[in-house]
Amino acid sequence: MKADTNLSEGSGIPAEARKILTQIETDRAAYKRKLVISFIILAIAMIMVLIALKLDFRFMKNQLPFIFAGMGYTLLVSFMAISLACFLAVVGALGRLSKNPVFNSIASSYVSLIRGTPLLVQVYMWYLALPQIGKALEGYGFTGIQAFFTLPALTAGILALGVCYGAYMTETVRAGIQSIDPGQTEAANALGMTRSQTMKRIIFPQALRVIIPPVSNEFIAMIKDSSLVSLMGVWELSYRAIKMGRRHFQSLEMLITVALIYWMMCILLQYFQEKLETHMARGDRSIR
Amino acid sequence: MMENDSPMVKITNIHKVFPQDVHVLCGIDLEVKKGETVAILGASGSGKSTLLRCINFLEEPTAGTVEVDGITIEAGENDKLRNGRIRDIRKRTGMCFQAFNLFPHMTVLENIIEGPVTVLRQKKEAATAYAEQLLQWIGLSEKSDEHPSRLSGGQQQRVAIARSLAMKPKVMLFDEPTSALDPELVGEVVEVMERLAKEGMTIVAVTHELHFARDVADRILIMDNGNWVEQGPPEKIFNNPEQERTRQFLAHIL
Repeated sequence: MKADTNLSEGSGIPAEARKILTQIETDRAAYKRKLVISFIILAIAMIMVLIALKLDFRFMKNQLPFIFAGMGYTLLVSFMAISLACFLAVVGALGRLSKNPVFNSIASSYVSLIRGTPLLVQVYMWYLALPQIGKALEGYGFTGIQAFFTLPALTAGILALGVCYGAYMTETVRAGIQSIDPGQTEAANALGMTRSQTMKRIIFPQALRVIIPPVSNEFIAMIKDSSLVSLMGVWELSYRAIKMGRRHFQSLEMLITVALIYWMMCILLQYFQEKLETHMARGDRSIR
Repeated sequence: MMENDSPMVKITNIHKVFPQDVHVLCGIDLEVKKGETVAILGASGSGKSTLLRCINFLEEPTAGTVEVDGITIEAGENDKLRNGRIRDIRKRTGMCFQAFNLFPHMTVLENIIEGPVTVLRQKKEAATAYAEQLLQWIGLSEKSDEHPSRLSGGQQQRVAIARSLAMKPKVMLFDEPTSALDPELVGEVVEVMERLAKEGMTIVAVTHELHFARDVADRILIMDNGNWVEQGPPEKIFNNPEQERTRQFLAHIL
């Protein structure tokens, strides 16, 4: 951009250099133009494929309100689960970095166990297996605990997703905390801060800038994984789409519809993520 | 009078052994009187930074005793109140690092009031008022709302000094404060250190800055391989050193 101003001023830049600068500008503009054209062609091709498949667009349009009614559950599950995951991630990361052997081993086992088992199995574990644990506990004299261990589908889904993503995010948060220069901790210590003051005032605010982009990535992934709660009969987006598709033998239409809805949601989130990152990057300039 | 006689910093028989039996400090003694300015010189890897960091327990000594302003801590003692006593020492000692280590997510002013507000529980207004005096003293009043990354290295180190001074320390520790600076920025930092010394601050500085060592320091100590080689007033060390090792070292830096 600096080249531009110099270009118009013509201050001491030799003609051949100016020629090269102009050439670079033209190439860049041409690339952008071609990129937009490719995207448009791709979109047209996709629409043509959909038409060629002889999709029942009217049916899709008619079912749209029914599917959309599941949006609330999808968003509710996602937001509740990501909140739980963030909380677990911070606690887990502190545990993984802790010098307390009990705290540390619990956090490490949590991450290892959850990352080492399929989310699908975990979802069923919370929903179907937990009541059995409750029953076993009642056998040991904890009367009434089984009811407490028998979770509604929505609660089980939120817990399964939150606990699972919390484990992955634990590692993200830990890496973020460890990425902060040890000199920061030393400077805080030299002022006489306690460990928790150092973490709260100095390390965490800086780690947050590092952590936010990967966490928003996790959130986008979670929106899609929230469809797993359909397994327990929660009437969210994908459950409704699958149900309608089966009933009318038009699964293709319904699955494409719901896939597009997820895609649009993710594009929207990605847009906000990019906004957030530019905002963060602006803060970053004041960091280094 | 009693107070003036007892040393501000007293280190007795400090050893520091790093893993794999790397013996960095081999039984070091050091006494710094109130208001005295001491410069520690020595080749890199001689242990001088480690010694400085042992004074405020950024480095835990393997053996020995550290006493700062009447607070005594033994190496390796197991006491519930020990961490609190270490923090008490840290509140009384300011430290400036080679890499400045300012808090990048805070403005200059926020950096300076962070210690007083968070550690000393001062009111924000009071801390800010004192911080503004300090900023004026280091000549950076107009930078108060900037983030550290917008400042030159010399300005950052001056802010780091102000951040330490905001805690009203009894002794200031400088760990090669000018080594990371471009040559033309060294002077402004040394000038601040010099004024600090003149105002009666007790200073322990690890530095190779010749002007500071020769003209500001009251006493120079030369360290080599974790032991003192020689100590004395600057005139004697620079003009008439006793030890061959001192002469060799000075030949390198002069």
